[in-house]
Amino acid sequence: MADEMKKHLTDLMNSTDDVLGIVITDRDGVPIMKVASEETPDLALRPTFISTFSMATDQAGKLGMGKNKKMICMYGNYQVVHFNLLPLVVTVIASSHANTGLVMSLDKDIAPVVSQLAQVVDIASMS
Amino acid sequence: MEKPLDKCLDEISHSAGVSGVLCADSQGLCLGVRGKASASSSGTIAALAERAAMLEPGSQDPLILLEGDNSQCLVHHNNSITLAVYKSPETS
Repeated sequence: MADEMKKHLTDLMNSTDDVLGIVITDRDGVPIMKVASEETPDLALRPTFISTFSMATDQAGKLGMGKNKKMICMYGNYQVVHFNLLPLVVTVIASSHANTGLVMSLDKDIAPVVSQLAQVVDIASMS
Repeated sequence: MEKPLDKCLDEISHSAGVSGVLCADSQGLCLGVRGKASASSSGTIAALAERAAMLEPGSQDPLILLEGDNSQCLVHHNNSITLAVYKSPETS
């Protein structure tokens, strides 16, 4: 099943231009599933980078505009879109000239994979 | 700052036969939406316009018409802005 999920993520990554990698992690940034091309910067895949999103999304949720769902970080050469699907976090790394709107709409396609993974993570955290 | 755009979108959405309007920038981010158009489709619409323009490089940006059973969607890309107009069949 993990192979099928990985294939699905790889297909999603390849179907959107300039998307370099998709990482599904827990709230601490521990990678659960990862697909990445060779051009993906290593720093963007590190737990230290991804875990900062958990803190940022918690703080953003306190702004009084409801729960924070997505966060886009634009850099000189790359853009990183985080989806808050707690207990899991999805991070999409793309080049800076990728279509941000298209990357943001990837969450609809990733959500089924994440919901299956979330069940596994929930069971593991309870035992 | 966005008042002229809002006014323009309002005018288009109140035109005869128009059921929705969407405006997106070159990054596929939604600049404005009216009627039945959905802000979440801004990325797809911008990508569609960009791809269609690749069919004939060097020529003017194309006008794309998507026709469905229940509605039509006209997409045009100009100066890094993409505009999509949804039309309903009975009035179009």
